[in-house]
Amino acid sequence: MDILGISINHKTAPIGLREALHLSQEEILEFTPILKEHVFSEGYVLSTCNRTDIFGIPKSGKISYKDIQKYLLDFKHVDGLSSEHFLNYFSCGAVKHVLEVASSINSLIVGDSQIHGQVKEAFLLSEDLGFSKTLMHKLFEAAVRVGKRTITETRIGEGAVTISYAGIKILEKIFSTFETKAALVIGAGETGELAAKHLRESGIGKLSISNRTLSKSELLASKVNSDVIPFENVKESLHKFDIIVTATSADGYILEYEDIKKMMKLRKGKMCSILDIALPRDVDPKVTEIDGIFYNDIDSLNIIVNENLKNREKEIPIVDNIIMEEMTSFFKWYNTLNIVPTIKDFRDFFEEIRKDEVEKIKYKVHDYEYEKVDNMTKRIIGRILHYPTWNLKRISETGTNFEEAKIYSDVIRELFNLDHKSENNSDDTFYNNGAK
Amino acid sequence: MSYSLLVLFIITFLSYLYDFFSENNYLQNIKRISLFITLIFHVVYFVERTFFLGHLPIVTQYEIFSLIAFSISFTYFLLELLSDIKGTGVFILFFAMVFQIKSSLFIQDVYVVNHVLQNYPLGTHVITAILGFTAISISAAYSFMYLLLYKNIKSNNFSVIFKRLPNLEILEKLTFYAIIIGFALLSIAVILGMTWLPSAFPEFSYFDSKIILTVLVTIIYGIGIYLKSKRIIIGKRFAKFSIYGFVFSILSLMLASVIMSSFHNFSN
Repeated sequence: MDILGISINHKTAPIGLREALHLSQEEILEFTPILKEHVFSEGYVLSTCNRTDIFGIPKSGKISYKDIQKYLLDFKHVDGLSSEHFLNYFSCGAVKHVLEVASSINSLIVGDSQIHGQVKEAFLLSEDLGFSKTLMHKLFEAAVRVGKRTITETRIGEGAVTISYAGIKILEKIFSTFETKAALVIGAGETGELAAKHLRESGIGKLSISNRTLSKSELLASKVNSDVIPFENVKESLHKFDIIVTATSADGYILEYEDIKKMMKLRKGKMCSILDIALPRDVDPKVTEIDGIFYNDIDSLNIIVNENLKNREKEIPIVDNIIMEEMTSFFKWYNTLNIVPTIKDFRDFFEEIRKDEVEKIKYKVHDYEYEKVDNMTKRIIGRILHYPTWNLKRISETGTNFEEAKIYSDVIRELFNLDHKSENNSDDTFYNNGAK
Repeated sequence: MSYSLLVLFIITFLSYLYDFFSENNYLQNIKRISLFITLIFHVVYFVERTFFLGHLPIVTQYEIFSLIAFSISFTYFLLELLSDIKGTGVFILFFAMVFQIKSSLFIQDVYVVNHVLQNYPLGTHVITAILGFTAISISAAYSFMYLLLYKNIKSNNFSVIFKRLPNLEILEKLTFYAIIIGFALLSIAVILGMTWLPSAFPEFSYFDSKIILTVLVTIIYGIGIYLKSKRIIIGKRFAKFSIYGFVFSILSLMLASVIMSSFHNFSN
């Protein structure tokens, strides 16, 4: 099999280079015709924030990894990028890589389900651009199956693997519902925004934002549909909230032990969870001594994240088995491609004879009799050709009896004079049909 | 039959224990079936004992222990079916198993029964009292789980306790409901006792140790319910109250049964 591909990802290149090389959908639309013209007869381009993969069937045996890299770098000029940043794949290795990516075991966060959709989109785009034919389509089907099976047959996608999601998991162990709860997010930066979005998605009853710069609070508040609390009033309002998330870039503590102690007095001991996801921390960790306060900083949230990541990694052998099964199935199909033209010609040969003979009686019998004879002869031909077809496929499927399969093919072609009818000669048909 | 029942209780408890600590879900349905079979067998055991001895099996304290074991496991079975909260069984069924162990090891067959025990009000009095104490035991179990989870979250210990137990608010709610049920049943038992016992026992005294202590337990739980509904004690403090209340009720029962003499003794 002559599938060829390159990959640049989180294992081979720093984020800066990956970002610089990232291809937007518009760029893929522009780049694909170049690949089609110079490199691949069919293929696909997958570009996410963590990887750019380009795979396909080379137009000729002269095409190598370097050609793909060259056309990519000509299209996207990135300084500091060299061939060391690329992983190169060929044949089985290429198919395995494509399926591994689709399974999410190759992702930056193992089990990240986002990749399933991204792989699907990449293949669909390739199909839309006429860049995906029989082989790529079959590979796409295998990749989608791997993605689905990974989700349904393993636990690789389970557990919180991001800090803010881990925070939500802790909150779920404290509160029975979020609908009746009020949450305050202090800090309107990227982390604060993510936390606010997670809280909103979790169905929080009331959400408020506070930030030193009021305009930033208002901007985030409009995004997540929440109230704004002026930063100077935040300490007086703390007791109204069941959940407090702090994510500022302040140098010191913005909430001291005494502030929280005072807050709990006003709350009359009602539980409150503080998620301090800022670095350096925003809340004095001593607050954990206060009854009814559940304080978690990044380190404690990372305990959950790391444990879940370990659990996900334990699922990798199961995913490997799924990939192996799908690869076997894919290659079984691929190996039969060589014999398919012979089978097709062979069946066509018999069908032509059948049709010819049945046609001769068409006007000599009633329509219903003709229909009966037509059906009967179809059944006879079907039964006669069943075992030869099955055996030819069986011999080819393993992929190890290449010579044997070729002999069978040649004998059949010779015996039935198939090449005389076909435009292709025997050897060409046998060797070149795979990528058609 | 008593030992067979004990074996069933142990099997059920172990299946819940395994399921709690295990990552896979092999026993998720089997443990519930095992509990169901144990309950059915327990009913058969009571029926067989009633026919064999000629009286309801609520005469000796070991018969009552078995009844408590049944009552705890049956209540839990209903809770599990209704709430679908499966992670708490191991803690509650532990109590049931302990009661059944004591019952199975020491139970004796008593054929001659005091005539007052064949009275209908006594049956109701005893059963409501037992169910009341069962509810209190269950509330203590939930409180124990609450404190365990509370400590786990506080100390960033996200182990199996964190993963398997329901959240703190649910556990607090379950504790509260169990206490309300316990209080209501104990109140009925006390009122029934107060109205029926003077006519049944010539030596009846309102200063009987069991009466005083049971009334005290009921009052304590009544106060607890009031304080909780007024949100004066909530969260960890309420969980602690529930556990202290349970310890006090068990100690008072033991004190009344073992140390102080009482007319509340029907075994001969």
